Amino acid sequence: MISKEAIKNNISQILAITEKDIKLRLRFKYKLIFSFISPIISIILPLIIMGKFFEFNDNFGPWDSNNYIVYIFLAYNIMQLQKIINRYQLQFSQEKFWQTLPGLLIAPFNTYYLLIGIFLSYLILISIPLIIFFIICFVFFPISFFTVLSIIFITLLIALIFSGLGLILGIFAISNENFSPILGFGLGLIFMASCLSFPFEIFPLFIQNIINLNPLYHIFHFYRLVWIEDNIIFSISSHLVSFLVLIGSAIILPYIGVIIFNKIYKKYGIVGY
Amino acid sequence: MVNNIVETFDLTKIYKLKGKKQEIIALNKVNLSVKEGEIFGLLGPNGAGKTTLIQILTTLRQPTSGYALIDGINVSEKPTQTKNKVALMLDNKMLYYRITGFDNLKFFCKIYNIPNYPEKILNISKEFGLEEWLNQLVENYSSGMKMKLALCRTLLLNRKVSFLDEPTLGLDVKIISFIIDKIKKSKKTIFLTSHDMSVVEKLCDRVAFIDKGKILKVGTKDDIKRMIQKEIKIKVTINGSKEQLKSELNQESFINNIINENKTLIVSLKNRDSYNDLLLILGKYPVQKVKEQELSLEDLFLKII
Repeated sequence: MISKEAIKNNISQILAITEKDIKLRLRFKYKLIFSFISPIISIILPLIIMGKFFEFNDNFGPWDSNNYIVYIFLAYNIMQLQKIINRYQLQFSQEKFWQTLPGLLIAPFNTYYLLIGIFLSYLILISIPLIIFFIICFVFFPISFFTVLSIIFITLLIALIFSGLGLILGIFAISNENFSPILGFGLGLIFMASCLSFPFEIFPLFIQNIINLNPLYHIFHFYRLVWIEDNIIFSISSHLVSFLVLIGSAIILPYIGVIIFNKIYKKYGIVGY
Repeated sequence: MVNNIVETFDLTKIYKLKGKKQEIIALNKVNLSVKEGEIFGLLGPNGAGKTTLIQILTTLRQPTSGYALIDGINVSEKPTQTKNKVALMLDNKMLYYRITGFDNLKFFCKIYNIPNYPEKILNISKEFGLEEWLNQLVENYSSGMKMKLALCRTLLLNRKVSFLDEPTLGLDVKIISFIIDKIKKSKKTIFLTSHDMSVVEKLCDRVAFIDKGKILKVGTKDDIKRMIQKEIKIKVTINGSKEQLKSELNQESFINNIINENKTLIVSLKNRDSYNDLLLILGKYPVQKVKEQELSLEDLFLKII
């Protein structure tokens, strides 16, 4: 049984990591602000192209001219969350360069706290653009309070999945930087085939078959459907596979991330500083 | 009985060179022990294995073979428990330059669960003369201030043993003497490495000499002196004529040579055991002062390495 004191200490350790990361990033604020602005450029093109598509076609699957704004704006939020993967890698590389990494890695805390600490700091930093885009989506396509809560919960789960992936990439930034770009490239391909910016129905059948194998597609698809269907119970029951992929990934990936982090760190330590 | 806080048993670390089949033995069956409350110095030239040893003892690297105990805990088998026992200060200071001094200390206090840390930070910063700088970004600190802050952090964490790698590197004499004073007053178990022999000489209770991954000698400065110094030099100051004493000593087989220097004779004995024989002879003369000629740690280092 964990004592109250131990829980308090653990939370304090997590918050220490979060606070330190936020303060470090706020040292150069414009860098942070532009990291929110740049994904807007990525969604402008799909916004224009899809708008044009609906002049010829009424809908692509569940997406039509009335709700595709939700599709695109949630894509922005996913892009923001996606950056959490690189955040771990960047942060560990930076700390390796600053030579502060030994201080962090010999501190007596669990690797989960490191994962959660960085996860929280990132969520806090992106919370403003994330909320703004949620509000814009809400204005165009209002949803019930319960769906809002569900969307927040799914957003946290997606961030957790990306944190798990980020920790895996992060340890390679510490122990073997050669693997970081390889893994990054692989992940890039998976994201490309996740229908982040364009609907599934636009793609030819053989690509649709590949996309169907991509867990990220199911997760993002479910996220958007929860919004437009505005009934979480209905969404879960009608897209059970996607829901299970979401929950399963949110549980398994952080766990696998911590195991891989610990094993690789134990074997190779900090390499290249 | 004083406990051993740090113990190593045949600790070995081998690095494989990239692209070559060659191996580098960074540590070669290192056996060491550091007692509780002791300031232990590890001396050696560049590439001797000092930093590798500290990295293994603080869980940053795994040994190739052998093992190390920190307060009885196996470092490789139980890294999380070991981490609770150690604090580390590397020569690069391990500070976050982009946040304030206070935020640096606060971060480490929180992850090490130090109670009442705001008060402790304030007290130690006053002691180190950093209180006015606490709310400034560390990037604005001078080298000496950064080193002071790093030492504040290490001492604040209050671990069983603190590892200091080159704590005085690149600092001026004033800051060095300040840091020596603070380390001495801390009354903690300290394991330090340094190139600066005078620092080690002033600070350490015991020293070890390491070269090419091997521990060459361990002990107090006097122990080591005794171990390596077969021939010893005695400075004899005498009132009046030295000639009679010199001629008597010249006849003794245990004397290597005698150098005449103003009022003194420097007598080289073949070995330390003959010291009493020399004193018996000196007793017959009006001797003012007898003193063994001191060897500095630097002399010892050069003799050993």
